[in-house]
Amino acid sequence: MLKIAALTALLGGLAAGGLVTLIVVVFLMRAWWSTPFEVMGFGGPPEQPIPFPHTVHAGVGDLLGEDGNPVMYADGQPKTALGLDCTYCHRNVDKGASASVPPVEQCIFCHKVVEDSEGNPLPGLANLVTAWENKEPVVWERVHRLPDSVRFVHEAHIRYFTQQGNLLPSGEQAMFAANVCATCHGDVAAMAEVKQVRSLKMGDCLDCHRDYGAPTDCTTCHY
Amino acid sequence: MEVTRRQFLKWSGVSAIGAVAFNGCLIPEQEFQIESPVNLPEDLVSGIDNWYATLCRQDPEGCSIIVRVVEGRAKKVEGNPDYPTNQGKHHARSEAGLQALYHPDRISQPLLREGDAHVPISWDEARRRIVERMGGLADRSRFLLVTQPLRGHQALLASEFTKAYGGRSMAFETLEQVTLRRAVMDVFGQERLPVFDIERCNYLLSFGADFLSTWLSPVKYSRGYGELRQGGGHRGLHVQVDSRFSMTAANADEWVPVRPGGEGVLAMSMAYVIIRDGMADPAAADALTGGGGHEALAAFSPDNAQVQDVTGVNAGRIAELAHAFADPGNRPSMAIGGGSAGAHTSGLFNLRAIYSLNLLVGSVNTPGGIEFNPAPPLRELATNDVMAMGVPASFREWREMDRPQVLMVRGVNPVHGLPPDANFRAAVEGAEFVVAFSGFMDETAAMADIVLPEHNYLEDWGDDVPDPGPGYEVIGLQQPVVAPFHGGTRGFGDELLAIARDLGLDLDNRVGASTVKDLLRRGAEQLWQMDRGSIRASNFDGFWNGVLQRGGWWDASARDSSGVRDIKPLDTAWPDISFSEAPGGRAFNLIPFLSNSIGDGNLAHLPWLQATPDPITTIVWHTWLEMNTRTADEMGLQKGDIVVVTAAGGRSVEAPVYPHPAVPPDTVSMPIGQGHTAFGQYAEGVGVNTMSLLAALSDGATGGLAWAATKVSVSKADRSIDIPRFEGNQFAEEVDEQAIIKITKPE
Repeated sequence: MLKIAALTALLGGLAAGGLVTLIVVVFLMRAWWSTPFEVMGFGGPPEQPIPFPHTVHAGVGDLLGEDGNPVMYADGQPKTALGLDCTYCHRNVDKGASASVPPVEQCIFCHKVVEDSEGNPLPGLANLVTAWENKEPVVWERVHRLPDSVRFVHEAHIRYFTQQGNLLPSGEQAMFAANVCATCHGDVAAMAEVKQVRSLKMGDCLDCHRDYGAPTDCTTCHY
Repeated sequence: MEVTRRQFLKWSGVSAIGAVAFNGCLIPEQEFQIESPVNLPEDLVSGIDNWYATLCRQDPEGCSIIVRVVEGRAKKVEGNPDYPTNQGKHHARSEAGLQALYHPDRISQPLLREGDAHVPISWDEARRRIVERMGGLADRSRFLLVTQPLRGHQALLASEFTKAYGGRSMAFETLEQVTLRRAVMDVFGQERLPVFDIERCNYLLSFGADFLSTWLSPVKYSRGYGELRQGGGHRGLHVQVDSRFSMTAANADEWVPVRPGGEGVLAMSMAYVIIRDGMADPAAADALTGGGGHEALAAFSPDNAQVQDVTGVNAGRIAELAHAFADPGNRPSMAIGGGSAGAHTSGLFNLRAIYSLNLLVGSVNTPGGIEFNPAPPLRELATNDVMAMGVPASFREWREMDRPQVLMVRGVNPVHGLPPDANFRAAVEGAEFVVAFSGFMDETAAMADIVLPEHNYLEDWGDDVPDPGPGYEVIGLQQPVVAPFHGGTRGFGDELLAIARDLGLDLDNRVGASTVKDLLRRGAEQLWQMDRGSIRASNFDGFWNGVLQRGGWWDASARDSSGVRDIKPLDTAWPDISFSEAPGGRAFNLIPFLSNSIGDGNLAHLPWLQATPDPITTIVWHTWLEMNTRTADEMGLQKGDIVVVTAAGGRSVEAPVYPHPAVPPDTVSMPIGQGHTAFGQYAEGVGVNTMSLLAALSDGATGGLAWAATKVSVSKADRSIDIPRFEGNQFAEEVDEQAIIKITKPE
């Protein structure tokens, strides 16, 4: 009787210990090695307060609808994307650490005149108009976020890749700041809703830093 | 189940740790959000700082500063390295400007008095009421505008406004330099304060001027003092003749504790010795004595017992000082005087005697001595009317002023800062309508019918012609470095223009601009057309940007070399040195002094400055009474004991005693600036108002307040406190045999 009790206790202890170990291991893997769930395709891009389509603003060529067919104006002409340069809005990207989101004012530069064919403000812009009228900031859901322990400076990366001879991983020579963005952010111009496409974990950073002979000291990013 | 105390503690500990630990693992929600600001100026890069040059308006010195601005918020203040007066240095007072900008007690919209309370109103409504009252005033000379001493285009605007309306204006400064300005006029024939070239001086004799702390341009002088002491080539000497052991006296090579009021007699006595011993410039000696030589000054011979009695300095010491000052090996030597030396009934006599010493040793208009400042470079700023806006009214003028019917006060607090005998409170109460431009609800604003909240100086335009200047033409520029923090504040100049428009005064045409910014740009255009000085450009925009970037315009070659045209003879009659009567018991000379941090109290609302230790006692957040250690022993007083300080007329305050070996035995000292009954949460209820003790004595000739001529008695109250201070619990003592500061005993 005593033996059985001891055995049960032992097995129970082992099971509990194993479970704890498993949880810890999974936690560590999840924290340090894994690709974020969003990047693996679980869960969609976050819902934004204004459904801002990068496709319309930054894309080039004809606009495609959800069915994959070109979107037409009433007169049968295809709608084309604006092809704005990334730095037109994210204008701090080659100046400072953060790329910055554009001020409400900048949206209004164009959107005070851009309307649909009936003269109504474009759908989805209600929040923008409200923000502008009330002089309130628009609070977006963040898509790319690095931990607090990391200092990532956009400017330094853009500067490096726009120098003659420093080819992008894709093998191209970046002529402008905007040519560099897709390396980490994917083809945002083709995303109706922006989502993260690279893991942007420390391993990801280090791989690239090693490839390019960039410093890999801890204090390069952790300072 | 019964829970034991031990279990309860264990569980609550575990759950607390758990709550903290697991919350710590989560990333706060706002980290997953990012804001689009409403506006984003082109020069604003998030995360990158911008530095803008502007002027500091915390004190009258008007240093040029550079302000670090990150994402539209001012973060740090430093000295502007380009600016001629402060040359990259700045004061703690400048640093604390950020607290004034983001102060929780700032008034953010116009207020109207209803009974005892103030209620918010709109700017339109406020201006409508002001225009109604001012427009309806039958005798317009009964309008009074009270400001701090104004300079530059602000002075032009206020002066033109007052003239166009037909009213009067007065400038308020707590410890006014009226007597000093008159002495400079009498001795040197100068309307503007001169340059004291401490930097290149070899022997500096200062009478009562606390120039390292609060006197005139402390930042400029402190920088020069560093050069005097540690600059290349020479090590100048500094002797401080002072009735209080001030911060400047503590820094001096030698401190001569003079009896209060005896400074002028001491200087005359030195002049007697210098002339007698043939060490003086003969022409100057002749002119000063009216050809009588040292005999004309015989009454001030050091051997005269009265001289020793009044000065507290013995004959040998006076002769030594005179010889050292006039010794050719010590030249250039310079004598400066001010502060308590000029704050007596004989103030003008004292300062004239002191500054005349410079004439005897040829230290005028020469490097290392006293040099003169040229007039402002723009003719519109050099008129008598505009220059007069920079000169404070004397105590006598305040006392005898005609009571105004409509009173407009801007940026000053005379209700707190004037001695009670000036009756300013009664003047405010007696006025039918009082308007106060003020960012904070101070004592004067609290009595106003309408309070107009002004921009902080970091949000507003302005300019300055420093007085004293650096010896050449300078105009400093003040630009907004941040957008107004509160939507409801406005600039003084712009609002004055708007009031004038509604009154139909045509001020826009009189000054030639309809906003302060336009006025400054118009002035800058004239500078640009001169095509000389620190900034020259092919077009005006280039010039304007240059002025904004460097914080002003100056021309180091535009100097005043006129010199002293005619030397007036010294006043050889024995001066009338009188004091107020102490109400009984042992009488002490009360020597008040400006606080090194909060000044005359206009900065008492800033916690950084309240918490900045006094340089001598290290006391913070308080008003204290400095008393000689031995005197305190005799009276049975210990550090922190509360005493009642009583002046004539039954006026008294209570303050803790700070015994200190370097306080002359018959003297006590108290800082000025505390004891506010209004002025926000950090100023109210701290310390006492030293100005409320002062007797109504003034210099006979100038009317300047004789603020060092009050006698008080000190009696023990049976309470004591632990004075809040930075130092340990040790008295200031010499720590080894190599005494750095020689303390001479009064004999």
